[in-house]
Amino acid sequence: MKIIEKSAPHLRKPNASVIRMMRDVVIALLPLVVFAIYNHGLTAVWILAAAIGSMVGTEYIYYQIVDHVKRDRTKAEEIKDKITGLNKQINQAKATYQENQNKAEYDETVEKLKAEIRTSKETLKAYKQASTKEENKRFHLFNRQFTLYNYSILVSGIIYGLTVPDSTHVMIVIIGGVVATLLVKMIFGGMGQNIFNIAGFARAFIALGFGAAVGVSNHLPVQDDGTAGATVLGQLAGNPFTETSAFSLWDMFSGIGFPGAIGEASALLILVGALYLFLRKSFDVFVPLVYVGTVFILSTAVMFQQDIGWWYPLTHLFSGGLLFGAVYMATDPITIPVTRPGRIYFAFGLGLLTFVIRLFGQYPEGVVFAILIMNMFVPAIDYAKWSKSKFSKKSSLIFSAIIVLSIVAVMVGASNV
Amino acid sequence: MIAKTKRVRDYKQLNKELPTLRYVDPEFVYINLTTQRCEEYRLDVKKGDYVKLGQIIGERDGCFFKQPIYSTISGHIEDKVTKIDGTGIEVECITIRNDFKDTYDETITDRPDSVIETMTQKDMVEIVKQKALVGLGGSGFPTYIKLATEEKIDTVVINAIECEPYLSSDYRLIKDQPDEIFNGLKYIMQALNAKQGIIAVKKTKKALIEVLENEMKRFQNLNIKIAKLGDYYPQGWEIETFKNATGIKVPIGELPMKYGIVGFNVSTTESIYEAIKHNLPVTKRFVTVNGDGIKFPQSIRTRVGTSVKDLIKLSDGFIEDADELEIVIGGPMMGSSVKNDDVIITPTTTSVLVFKSVDHKEEPCVRCGSCVYSCPVDIQPVAIMNAVKRNDTEALKQLEAGKCIECGLCAYVCTSKIHVTDYVRKGKSLIR
Repeated sequence: MKIIEKSAPHLRKPNASVIRMMRDVVIALLPLVVFAIYNHGLTAVWILAAAIGSMVGTEYIYYQIVDHVKRDRTKAEEIKDKITGLNKQINQAKATYQENQNKAEYDETVEKLKAEIRTSKETLKAYKQASTKEENKRFHLFNRQFTLYNYSILVSGIIYGLTVPDSTHVMIVIIGGVVATLLVKMIFGGMGQNIFNIAGFARAFIALGFGAAVGVSNHLPVQDDGTAGATVLGQLAGNPFTETSAFSLWDMFSGIGFPGAIGEASALLILVGALYLFLRKSFDVFVPLVYVGTVFILSTAVMFQQDIGWWYPLTHLFSGGLLFGAVYMATDPITIPVTRPGRIYFAFGLGLLTFVIRLFGQYPEGVVFAILIMNMFVPAIDYAKWSKSKFSKKSSLIFSAIIVLSIVAVMVGASNV
Repeated sequence: MIAKTKRVRDYKQLNKELPTLRYVDPEFVYINLTTQRCEEYRLDVKKGDYVKLGQIIGERDGCFFKQPIYSTISGHIEDKVTKIDGTGIEVECITIRNDFKDTYDETITDRPDSVIETMTQKDMVEIVKQKALVGLGGSGFPTYIKLATEEKIDTVVINAIECEPYLSSDYRLIKDQPDEIFNGLKYIMQALNAKQGIIAVKKTKKALIEVLENEMKRFQNLNIKIAKLGDYYPQGWEIETFKNATGIKVPIGELPMKYGIVGFNVSTTESIYEAIKHNLPVTKRFVTVNGDGIKFPQSIRTRVGTSVKDLIKLSDGFIEDADELEIVIGGPMMGSSVKNDDVIITPTTTSVLVFKSVDHKEEPCVRCGSCVYSCPVDIQPVAIMNAVKRNDTEALKQLEAGKCIECGLCAYVCTSKIHVTDYVRKGKSLIR
């Protein structure tokens, strides 16, 4: 028995772990996966498989290569290196001898070094004979950092897959997954180091890189009548303030037979997942609350300005993956600020950007773009000079002024659309 | 997880209701001559001398105060040895062989109540200084300095919170000697001419509240009340206790005396009573022996200077099926771990905890923010950790790393099991 010294605290919270947190997200996503498969059939299976497979596979292969480069050096290699070093020393001694012609010193040094080389070679030989095949194997492949064990890349893969529209080609999904994992996660240093949301980046990448190929099909397996054409947001982009006829609010809330990305349709199931995550305290509930709340307030303001019905803010809430993005993407702790005020500023920025993109832009991926843009502001929000873990009087004053200003700006903007 | 965590699992049920074991007669006691603060000393006795209980055998020196050293038993002086004290540093000790007679020194006489009633602040400060009383909650800060304050004090707060998990030494003290605590509080209030006294205790410790309320009936003429505070960590942190018990917010880094409030640990209060009433220094104290590495956890009333080895033996020793053990002196959140069990009980030792050593697997930080949410002083441990990794002293100053009280909550709540507190400690020392 050994007594060892450690520094305080000597206790850890029993049920706090990253693995638990990530596993909870996977569990909260499962109903959406099942629903996506129910809604879209095999298409959803293929897209999800491609998304998860490409991300997990990329990370796996990346770590295989990294571990190979940094692989543990076997003892034999160490001895070989030592011999090379000794040979270099002999050459150096030769050079010195040619300079100062000190024969006695030269002989002495070389003799000593040669003896050392001889012993090293003998040890190498003995080692090679003694060691098993295993130890001498040239390629040692480990997966020391492969993060599948803590579900982090799996979470990214599932979220990415669920945000992909159903008529997207599987190859495009794979390209997006590979590129996002490499560019956003791996080269920044793996888990915990990424600046952008991986799934969000992948989704934005395929939207911008492949344009029209990433779209919504006209016919869903669960629909009999085949009436669905564009998504709600697509229709809203054409006539911003006209109520769409094709879908009722209940359709949007339940998501059954609703076109769009394969997993974002059902607001109901997303809320169920959010409730689970909230009860397990596995995400910061303030982020989705403030995010969705901001979009709701801004769209309500526009509703009053345009004098249209309540369908307008509700349509914004239940469409275009706002809830999905707010619950699963905007809460990814790695890419959001660490303080509560910081997270609230961040979520407000998300809401504002999302609504502005929806109101003035043509892209249906407003949520994803907003998340990626706000990800860039995280280091600025967390900057040591002004980041505080409590609201001060001054900061809450400035923040309320910004809220009022943005409501006014959105209303003025809406009258000019 | 990602939320404000204030509760720390307390593990006290293990032994808080067990009877206290009396172990006041070890064969040898080891009296420390140096402490963390005082590194010099003068020894007045030599090997073979006979000393009595409560006799002055030397004086500690080397810092801003001098402190007499008392013998806690009667017996013969033996060799000087080096042992470890509760803070984990090596101290020089003098060994005294017990003669099991407890012969008191001539100076140890009771003061009649009539004399005590006429005593002024100055008299009491002199006694407290003479008896070398220090903060027994673990700080070891000389009590007389607090008692000698010249500020106008309205409120005296007795801190009986004991918010650290596992510890129950103050709990046992209150159950066993409530009378001494109230009398100690009375003396303090008399010395400082304070208007009211507050005993702060966790509201979940119902047994203690019953004992204290019962005892309060005998002190009706004094303005004493019991503040029942919430059960969370670090409720026992002085500033937090003051805030919740009286509503006075003392800014970090300022002396509470300026705000008309002063706090004493409950054991310190009891020691003040002993010093003023019986003219005794601290010779005995309650020590909790607890943790999952010990066979029979219990509370022990023991002599100051007892070897921890003895106490561990009394608790049936270490468990057998552990390869690595940690011995922690003090609470598990803030206590220090020692390198072997050759430790002595000093007046400030509240507990001996033995834990199976667990190596937590560290994951990369996912910036979940639990540490930021839980921090009682509202700083950002994760940002400080990153600044320490970058060696960025500018950022450390902006992040107010110096405010940290090292309560250990950030590491406790960390979802990635990173030792955040260590980084913050490093950050504090970088900008000091």
